[in-house]
Amino acid sequence: MSDRVMTKADIEAAEHLQHAHVEPKDFISRYIFSIDHKYIGKQFLWAGLLFLLFGGLLAMLIRWQWAFPAQPVPVVGKSLFPQSGGAITPPAYNTLFTMHGLIMVFFAITPLMIGAFGNYTIPLLIGARDMAFPKLNMYSFWTFALSQCLVIASFFVELGSAAAGWTTYPPLSTNVGTPGNGQSLVVLALFVTGVASIMGAVNYITTVIRFRAPGMTWFRMPATVWGLWLTSILNLLFVPVLGSAGILLLFDRHFGTQFFVTGAAGGIGDPILFQHLFWIFGHPEVYILILPVWGFLIDFMSFFARKPAYWYKGSVYAMIAVSVLSAVVYGHHMFVSGMSPLLGQAFMLLTLVISVPAEILFLNWLHTMWKGSIRLTVPMLFALGTVFVFGLGGLTGIYLGTISTDLYLHDTMWVVGHFHLTMASAAFLGSFGALYFWFPKMYGRMTNETLGKVHFWFSVIGVTAVFCGQLLAGYNGQQRRLYDPFQYTYIQHLRDLNKYTSYFAFALGLGQLSFVVNFFYSIFAGKKADKNPWDVGTLEWTECESPPVYHNFDKVPIVLRGPHEYNNPDVLAKTGRDWVGQSEQLPGEEHGLDAIAAE
Amino acid sequence: MKSLHRLLTAVGTASAVLATAGFAFADPIPETTIWGLPRDASAEGHRVDWLIKTTNGFVILLFVVMCVWMALAVVKHNKDHKADYDHGDSKHHIAIAMGVSAVIFFVVDGNLWFNSTIDVNSTFWNHQAVEKDPNAVRIEINAHQWAWDARYAGPDGKFNTKDDVVTLNDVRVPVGSPVLLQLAATDVIHSFYLPNFRIKQDAAPGMVNRMWFKAKDTGEFDIGCTQHCGVHHYKMKAKLTVLEPSAYKAWLEEMSAQKAQAYDEKDRGANWGWEWKQPHDNIDSRGGAAVSEADHDHGDKVAAQNRGAQ
Ligand code: HEM
Ligand SMILES: [Cu+2]
Ligand SMILES: [Cu+2]
Repeated sequence: MSDRVMTKADIEAAEHLQHAHVEPKDFISRYIFSIDHKYIGKQFLWAGLLFLLFGGLLAMLIRWQWAFPAQPVPVVGKSLFPQSGGAITPPAYNTLFTMHGLIMVFFAITPLMIGAFGNYTIPLLIGARDMAFPKLNMYSFWTFALSQCLVIASFFVELGSAAAGWTTYPPLSTNVGTPGNGQSLVVLALFVTGVASIMGAVNYITTVIRFRAPGMTWFRMPATVWGLWLTSILNLLFVPVLGSAGILLLFDRHFGTQFFVTGAAGGIGDPILFQHLFWIFGHPEVYILILPVWGFLIDFMSFFARKPAYWYKGSVYAMIAVSVLSAVVYGHHMFVSGMSPLLGQAFMLLTLVISVPAEILFLNWLHTMWKGSIRLTVPMLFALGTVFVFGLGGLTGIYLGTISTDLYLHDTMWVVGHFHLTMASAAFLGSFGALYFWFPKMYGRMTNETLGKVHFWFSVIGVTAVFCGQLLAGYNGQQRRLYDPFQYTYIQHLRDLNKYTSYFAFALGLGQLSFVVNFFYSIFAGKKADKNPWDVGTLEWTECESPPVYHNFDKVPIVLRGPHEYNNPDVLAKTGRDWVGQSEQLPGEEHGLDAIAAE
Repeated sequence: MKSLHRLLTAVGTASAVLATAGFAFADPIPETTIWGLPRDASAEGHRVDWLIKTTNGFVILLFVVMCVWMALAVVKHNKDHKADYDHGDSKHHIAIAMGVSAVIFFVVDGNLWFNSTIDVNSTFWNHQAVEKDPNAVRIEINAHQWAWDARYAGPDGKFNTKDDVVTLNDVRVPVGSPVLLQLAATDVIHSFYLPNFRIKQDAAPGMVNRMWFKAKDTGEFDIGCTQHCGVHHYKMKAKLTVLEPSAYKAWLEEMSAQKAQAYDEKDRGANWGWEWKQPHDNIDSRGGAAVSEADHDHGDKVAAQNRGAQ
């Protein structure tokens, strides 16, 4: 598609391709096995938020242990850890951090970011009536729900859930180190959730390629769609690698193969092979979680600074460059595994090169804000907070991409602080920003702004303090994954640091209540939302009611311009508004429908 | 009987060592400030510290610029300010963005890349040069859940022989000499970490990894495990004692004298060593038959202990 004026044939083709589905009447196909992308998006939203709570509570327990090692956990301790009088035991602790990491990455942030916002926004933002494969979309959600059930089940088997770290390195993750079935169930859950991700990815990729409305050229797509589309490509390419590693591991655990088993237990396998497979997937995974956030940021900066996105193409090219590079840097996770020095140096160079596209993105965000007319709405606050924490996270990463500094910092709390600022905080704040932004469209009601701001300040101060505390502990050399860090002499002086970091974590956790209250209150009793409460020009706001009808668009919209036309002098002169819809026909503007009417 | 014998030997050795060495350190000295890196006790750690600290400078500068930029925009260009209509895609704008990114890349990342490449090739991963050093001390380390075994070649200079000195969670080295380690593991992956020497290296079953360091100060230091290795990962701690060369020599001699008496050929679990790998040996190659068999025996015991522990 080009910028040419649409012809009648284009429009008919679009209408034909995207015939409107009839809204089903029966309960099951409406509310359970729904094939409506908007409803599936909400299903993912609820599933993701629930597990975000779960993973968050596990994090609170970890932080309790570091503030007050081996002291009984107040309130819930007695029922969670009855044998030890309410105190966390070393094996329980290993399960806590392992499952916190896995739940957050695969069962909370992934469904929120990709499942919820991917599903909800992609068709609306590109002017489509649904996904390309609505049924596959439904299967994707229910496969995902199955994987969540496996995770829950894993906590109830003998010896408890997985405990080999989220990285699941063998031989520890084989029967040598974690003989319980909980570990197997979790690896199986990862495989199943991978299947769900792949189904979603195929769907998103196809939808974006095939179902863009007439006139929605690649560079007229909102950046959100770009982020989600690139994420889907990475998912499609790399999740299968994780899946294969998981299957081989399950074979080792249950069918006596020896892909990864070696050492005292016998076996001729290679545990390092697993690390390669894990990180071939694992490094792209961190970009899988962050690319959608970058997309949101590019859009939100423009929407709320009331200014076009600065060098939009540059940002998109930067995202593409990062996606490509993400495939060839994974070795920075293995600098101390005994890898060949030459290979290590190649990985170091490639890793550092990622700074370039990252800098372009930052400069473009900052330039977009500069000389704007900034509205500090709740989504914008979250966007600003995201840039802030992602800046910290990105900058602390270069120490880890460099071999000699990584020799010291590898597997210390520095790493934990770094990836929480990038992957966790940015994804966490980014998801909430997106939720506050699209909530009016999703539920037809506004959220409460004051509560939203309370939530923002608790969250941004919380994550900054907690993860900077962890960075500092790592700078002092504190290793990660220690049940009781204070075994070591050289971190004796970090007791207070760890304690205060935990206090901030508890405040961060408590602050989330402001969101819970706001969310439930607003769904049922929030102020009714207008069609376009933020005065922005993308299709979901200009062409759809809040919430949209089942088939999204009565007529497939015809797109005339990009998503970031704010304070365009021409528009101001003609309409008196500082924004214009992507498919809005201005007086004197040529439009496909005119041509059709003339025929 | 055997264990009693070993116990006596151990006690005897310990007292002999204390007597001959004439040293009685306190535990490692605790650090005092949370704002710094731990004490640097190694001859080469300053390379890492310098690179970390210069990078801190750049990073703080960039972060402050970013924050000030955002804050000014939020304050000055608020809703009362009229927004520019500017897509930022003129040649001029693109050139500036590319230019700024290039400068940051070449200065900050360039500095990291350049110095790290030198440090790694000249020092941290340059095991060949250290192998040639006549003063080099060689130690084999076998990691297992949840302890570190160390093995010294003894007077014959050969590993896995009768006069080897074997210690548990107790590594002693002379100050000022390069120390070469070859690391292996019995059960799962561990990582040998010397925070005060700014260095670590994984020890994995099925392969022998290398690392080296040189102490510049005497004293006692923590050895930690940085790879999650199971229930008691957090307890997998050992002590590194850096001695004056004469004290080190005395200790080693005393130890090997004791060891030769206590040597038991059939106790395969204690004889886990391997022939020292030469620089050209493939690091992936397994130890000789001795190591795998010994490993096996030892591993069964470890596995049994694990079962007990869970
Ligand atoms: C919201 C507040 C959060 C807090 C307070 C928190 C805290 C922690 C803590 C204390 C650890 C343990 C590190 C260790 O054992 O050494 C940890 C590990 C981890 N966290 Fe979080 N976290 C949070 C959110 C998240 C989010 C949103 C994600 C994912 C995107 C995440 C991903 C991980 C991962 C992957 C690990 C590593 C687990 C492992 O070592 O196997 N966290 N977190
Ligand atoms: Cu990575
Ligand atoms: Cu260990």
